[in-house]
Amino acid sequence: MQTAIRYLPLLLLALGWEVTARLHLVDSSALPSLTSVGAAWVDLIRDGELIDNGAASIYRAAAGLALAIVVGGGLGMAMARVKLLDLFVNPLVELFYPLPKSALIPVTVLWLGFGNGSKILLIFLGCMIPVTIGAYNGARGSDHALIWSARSMGAGRLRMMWDVIMPSALPEILNGIRTALALAFILLVSSELIVSQSGFGYLIGYLGSTGAYEGMYAVVLTVALLGFGADRFYQLLMQRLLRWRE
Amino acid sequence: MAGEAQIVVQGVNHTYRPSHGRVVKALSDVSLEVHPREFVALLGPSGCGKSTLLYLVGGFLPTERGRITVEGKPVVAPGPDRGIVFQHFALFPWKTVRGNILYGLERQGLPRPEREKRAQDFINMVGLRGFEESYPSQLSGGMKQRTAIARTLAFDPNILLMDEPFGALDAQTRSLMQTELLSIWNRTPKTVIFVTHDVQEAVYLAGRVAVMSARPGKIKAIVDIKLDKSDPGLLRSKEFVEKTDEIWNLVRDEAIKAQGTVTT
Amino acid sequence: MARVDDQAMLAAAAADLAPEPARRFDAAFRFGAGLFSILLMLLAWELFARSGKVTPFMLPRFSVVLAYIYKDATSGVLWINLGLTLFRALTGFVIATICGIALAVAMARSKIARWFFDPVISVGFPMPKIAFLPIIILWLGVYDVSKISMVVFDGIFPVVTATLAGITAVEKELLWSARNMGANERQIMWQIALPAAAPQIITGLQVALPISLIVTIIAEMVMGGYGLGGAMMGASRFANSPGVFAGIVEIAVVGYALIKAMAFARRRLLVWHQETADHN
Repeated sequence: MQTAIRYLPLLLLALGWEVTARLHLVDSSALPSLTSVGAAWVDLIRDGELIDNGAASIYRAAAGLALAIVVGGGLGMAMARVKLLDLFVNPLVELFYPLPKSALIPVTVLWLGFGNGSKILLIFLGCMIPVTIGAYNGARGSDHALIWSARSMGAGRLRMMWDVIMPSALPEILNGIRTALALAFILLVSSELIVSQSGFGYLIGYLGSTGAYEGMYAVVLTVALLGFGADRFYQLLMQRLLRWRE
Repeated sequence: MAGEAQIVVQGVNHTYRPSHGRVVKALSDVSLEVHPREFVALLGPSGCGKSTLLYLVGGFLPTERGRITVEGKPVVAPGPDRGIVFQHFALFPWKTVRGNILYGLERQGLPRPEREKRAQDFINMVGLRGFEESYPSQLSGGMKQRTAIARTLAFDPNILLMDEPFGALDAQTRSLMQTELLSIWNRTPKTVIFVTHDVQEAVYLAGRVAVMSARPGKIKAIVDIKLDKSDPGLLRSKEFVEKTDEIWNLVRDEAIKAQGTVTT
Repeated sequence: MARVDDQAMLAAAAADLAPEPARRFDAAFRFGAGLFSILLMLLAWELFARSGKVTPFMLPRFSVVLAYIYKDATSGVLWINLGLTLFRALTGFVIATICGIALAVAMARSKIARWFFDPVISVGFPMPKIAFLPIIILWLGVYDVSKISMVVFDGIFPVVTATLAGITAVEKELLWSARNMGANERQIMWQIALPAAAPQIITGLQVALPISLIVTIIAEMVMGGYGLGGAMMGASRFANSPGVFAGIVEIAVVGYALIKAMAFARRRLLVWHQETADHN
């Protein structure tokens, strides 16, 4: 009940939208009614357009993000333990951190064209930064006592990284991944809006250019809600993984 | 000290009802009268509601049951007639010492030259000359509290409400501040209600000590302090020690009781 | 719960912004080391590009890219693009700041406003709001208005979240002291609460500024035309490799400069704050 009252304003906004559209308070082409958007959404599902393009988008984002997590996480933790690596790579990370990752869109297109490859590379490169930073900060904070006792028990470097450093670095890594998740969505949608032959962004552009505004709204909302949902879901995941901390 | 009471507290009860957490009855049927230019200490163990009573007189909390009047008029809101000094100073960190003191004077609409002069006078009075342009983060605890006191005195309230003002200071600074406060009070006598849990502090500073019980707070006893505050050997004098003992005996049981209850 | 999420998002974004307090000497040393590493990287870039292991298309030499930038600078094209991008980003940023703070103040004072906007912010913050760009273009056309609106839409969330968090966290004794001195509600909000919340508000602005730049560039890439983003995308479409890399360098410099400017502004505005005091 509490939750219902909390989210009631969203319901009111939806109602407001419907009423505004129905009463033609705004130019009706610019704001189709929520119900017509819903109908278009159903159509897009039915004829497979949304599913096909959605799958393409999700595949790209997932692949890029997964690579970023593995490589970035590994790199960050390695940097925290290997001084030489830290010395060389840290300034690079600091250099690329303020770079708007969207600036990488044209270069990935230049290298790999319009297809999946460029998008996956883009998301990989862009998302690697927050994950690396999170893993680095997290691993640096690892309790020395834990590390030394593990070492005295004969743990090799790699083993130690997995058993000792990663768990204590987990909160920071997970936060870095959360940032990367949001960034992945942004880079995915942006690159698909700019150049693509498939995917959510492409579909939005296509529907917009053919005047199918109800459909366009439907896909925009789908993407937006997916992004929101992914974050919420990830938060639940984070809480579960970090349970032992409390 | 005869004459009309300036502050009248009658049958006041107060209950805290936070949106999360337990309901706590802080004060139970408290009555007290304070006369003009009196120095009254509210003494009691932690959680006994003495600060709550102070906030009610100050108008920071609404009086739900009972009555509080100041000079005949009921208290409904805070105002510059009742100046407050907090334990943790509550200085505006983005303003300098001078800026902090000027704020109250600006709110009163005094013309600029008068404001500046008045602020400087009080800065000098509390011994902070030379630190006018310092920020609170650059000051020691004692200096911060002196700034807070100067800030409140500057807008000339008739009544001074002090909420354990020296509680956050180290013992030596506290001792110096107590003496300074007495000396300031002797120069510009105001009605003072001074909240503390320190028996010695209460006996040293106040003319009357109201001892409060553990939560829910009631006034357990009111003790007159008839000591010569100007006596330099006051703290070692027999009368002082006897008075302190007398009051500590009143407080001790309450302090023990307070240990057992959960403080919010 | 919702409020904690927004702040968590903000904290995640802001975590890397505030550098660890470093003494002056440390800061200079780190700057020097950083500079050295950048120069080293540029050298490596140049050598690698010359080595023949990659085509000039894939990785043009840094010297070529530098020459390209110089050409754009002398012809004036660089300044036009730079000026437009900065204009759009900063205008959006300023509007987001003003509206964001105003909204947070309204939410702090009015329970209804708080109730109404809380879920809007909570749901909107993690959304890829760039997805709404086509809708904004539909409503507002293909000119600067749309780009700036997109920036405002994205930038307002961190500002509102941070400002509201800052205002609600102000110690009540500060507010009570002000009221004690005769300040009314409006004066308390603008003269006491907002200044007291300044550290958090500025953190919010520090998050919003890079967002403003990112969004501007994306919008420019989508819509084309002048501006750093549009120029870069144009270069990409024409397979103009030096042009694309020139754009990356230019945007990197701008992004870095904005962040540094914001950090400088923070130190100046918060000269009274404990964190600055710790440095001295």
